[in-house]
Amino acid sequence: MATRLKKVTNRKNPRQTAFTRFMLIVAFFILWIGAIGVRLVHLQINQSEWLREKAQDQRRDEVKIKTLRGTIYDRTERTLAMSVKVKSLYADPKEIDDVEFTAQQVAAALKIKPDAILKDLREAKENNKRFVWLAQKLDEDTAQKLNKTLDTADLKKFDAPKFKGLHWREEQKRSYPYKNLAAQIIGFSNAEDVGQSGIEQSQEESLRGAVVKSWQDRDRLGRVYDQSETTRQPPKDVVLTISHSIQYKVEQALEKGVKASNSKSGTAIVLDPRTGEVLAMAAYPSFDPNRYTEFPAENYQNKAIQSIYSPGSIFKIVAYSSALDLKMITADSMIDCSRGFIEVAGHRFNDPHATKTMSYIEAMAVSSNVAAIKTGLSLGKENFYGYAQKFGFGQPTGIELPAEARGLFRAPQTWNGDSLASMSIGYEIGVTAMQMATAYAAIANNGVRIKPHIVKEIRDSTGKAISVTEVEQTPIVSAEAAHGLRRMLREVVLKGTAKRAQLNGYTSAGKTGTAWKYNAKIKRVDAGKYVSSFVGMAPAENPAIVIVVVMDEPSGGARDGGQVSAPVFREIAEQILPEMNIVPDNTIQQENLTAQVIPSEIEKVELPATNDAEIVEKGDLPKKELKKIAEKVAVGETIKETKKVEKQTKPDARKEDKSPSEDKKIKPKPAIVTTEKKNKSSTEKVKKKT
Amino acid sequence: MNKRKQSAKTQTQTKRRGGDPIPWKYCLLTLCCGLLLVVGFFFAARSHFSSIDFGIKNSRLRKQIDELEGDKRRLILSKEIALSPAEIKKAAKKIGLTEMNASNIEVYRPNPNAVKEKPKVIEKPKLEFLNKPEEVKKEVKKSEDKPEKKAPDAKDKPERTKVQLAKK
Repeated sequence: MATRLKKVTNRKNPRQTAFTRFMLIVAFFILWIGAIGVRLVHLQINQSEWLREKAQDQRRDEVKIKTLRGTIYDRTERTLAMSVKVKSLYADPKEIDDVEFTAQQVAAALKIKPDAILKDLREAKENNKRFVWLAQKLDEDTAQKLNKTLDTADLKKFDAPKFKGLHWREEQKRSYPYKNLAAQIIGFSNAEDVGQSGIEQSQEESLRGAVVKSWQDRDRLGRVYDQSETTRQPPKDVVLTISHSIQYKVEQALEKGVKASNSKSGTAIVLDPRTGEVLAMAAYPSFDPNRYTEFPAENYQNKAIQSIYSPGSIFKIVAYSSALDLKMITADSMIDCSRGFIEVAGHRFNDPHATKTMSYIEAMAVSSNVAAIKTGLSLGKENFYGYAQKFGFGQPTGIELPAEARGLFRAPQTWNGDSLASMSIGYEIGVTAMQMATAYAAIANNGVRIKPHIVKEIRDSTGKAISVTEVEQTPIVSAEAAHGLRRMLREVVLKGTAKRAQLNGYTSAGKTGTAWKYNAKIKRVDAGKYVSSFVGMAPAENPAIVIVVVMDEPSGGARDGGQVSAPVFREIAEQILPEMNIVPDNTIQQENLTAQVIPSEIEKVELPATNDAEIVEKGDLPKKELKKIAEKVAVGETIKETKKVEKQTKPDARKEDKSPSEDKKIKPKPAIVTTEKKNKSSTEKVKKKT
Repeated sequence: MNKRKQSAKTQTQTKRRGGDPIPWKYCLLTLCCGLLLVVGFFFAARSHFSSIDFGIKNSRLRKQIDELEGDKRRLILSKEIALSPAEIKKAAKKIGLTEMNASNIEVYRPNPNAVKEKPKVIEKPKLEFLNKPEEVKKEVKKSEDKPEKKAPDAKDKPERTKVQLAKK
């Protein structure tokens, strides 16, 4: 019985055994899960950063993209400068196994010699570099062609080109579709897309494209499945006040004027006096910002705002307008210039044009130095200096262009005994063309000076204007004084030194200026070098435009502003005023240019009375031969004749340009007369020949 | 007593061992939970892969937008280049147009001494009938033979109105 009981007690309870086993398993699992938990906690807390970075590295790429630079528009919404995306090809030498083969393939695709590429790739591979430029800033079409040429069929690669170790990088390229047009205004940006001159430089902050960081998550095949980027601030667009059409006309007229007068360079500005908007600003010679490296650095300079010159007689408006404003004179009051010279502090100022008592209008018309000096002296140093400052001389105009010159205008304390007299006629000072334009615009705008500006507005990427340039007005002289001065300036064009500034269909007013250039070597003015300028406005009563034309060192015979610069003014004004819808206020002289039926010279040709004539009658002679005979007779002769006419006309033009006093004697002949001559003589010759 | 108890215990043990130890309700619940879990996993996986798929599509579309914007810019640029005055000038020269200068404007002035030629009278071209029915030919001939009706002159009009007024 006892043994049986022992057996019973020794035998374990099966439920308990199962429970114990179960608990063991649970304990094991708990321990296991606990260990995992501990490991997880360790990974999540202590190694989280390292793990995250590692995971991100495996699937995520960091891409830095530079947003495209802002666009520059003209006032008619035409694109003057724009950035486009381009592609640059680079190689990762670490991924390349056969460097020679790669170099050969790439060179063949780029149509260049493989030596340079091979050298670069080898050097990079030896130095463990992972980046080598192969071709930069290629347009989309070229990139596509390269992709096709470099395509390897078996290669599994997520990005183009399908060639081992070659990749594309997106970049941007600045393009200037109008090439030379307004080059000095727009400026250019360098390879890093940073503005170097002009609007590109002054508006760098608005135009600059921000660098945007973006992260791309890629799958095992390299496809991007998630993308996130930092907040980007898109660049702004700049709208200018210039009009591409007016700018083109101004540039063409200026180029023509510079070539005709054989000047070193030329500058022209067209300003709207009522708003202060610069409609055009040109300098010749110019450059193409698309390939600016091919041009001399001198051409980059915007001479209209950066170049200082002695204004000469065009500065006389300061003395006259100040005297008119102070009611010391009126336009019709008389001044004595009887001696033809004036002596101030031992300096004798000669004046061959005015040697009698005359009205101020007449004195202005003949550009009398004596009258201007006398007026300046009567004003006194302080008044003269004060008014000149009011006009804006000696300080930058504040136009939105970089490196604007202040000009040279000394304080009265540093003046010599004859300085006031010299300044009254535009010497001993230095001005910019823009300063002159602003001063004349104030006269055109009834004595109110308006700050010139070239930036019309700045827009955000959606096209909404975020900044509009406001007009700053400063009254300088009274409206009566401005009106009186305009009358005087009108007389200059009608009877004075600027007759060549008379417009067809519009009234005009203005002043010529011819000044000797200062030679730094000899430290005095050089009598052989001039700066000839003309500042004009039209229509004379209610001016809509003010045009400044400055020619540097004209050497083609004529040197006076009235002969060199005034014709350029006329050409510009006659072209742009109708474009601006300004109603003509003067009689329009219609040139007889209507085409009439001219008996063809070919038809007139009488064929030689040979057997050929019979053949012609029969209609057997081919038309080609007929034409040949006709051309020989007609065309050849006319060409010779036109050359002769040109030779004849050139010396006449020089004679005309010699001095303004000779204007009255020799009237410029219209071009039509010469062509008439040409026609007559050519037809006569044709007849003789036949 | 012990025997009875023991026999009862063995009876119950044999009963539990022989029958289903877990009730079917629990099994069903476990199955449901398992199914739910599997379905959950399935949906999670599906949404994960579809999100990746959408992401890929999205990035492709983004790229496409960028490319289209680039194309648009390039087109604007080429349009501007084509419309630039210098290019227009080039094109004009290509088709043979020249700049209007005094040298290439030819103004014809007739010689006053020359005898004026009488202007040539151009005869009215006769109508030719080619492959037309005779009826048509006759009609046309009739219309040609008929005297043309004079259009009422401006001077006639007021007279007629005066007569009409008088009648009235």
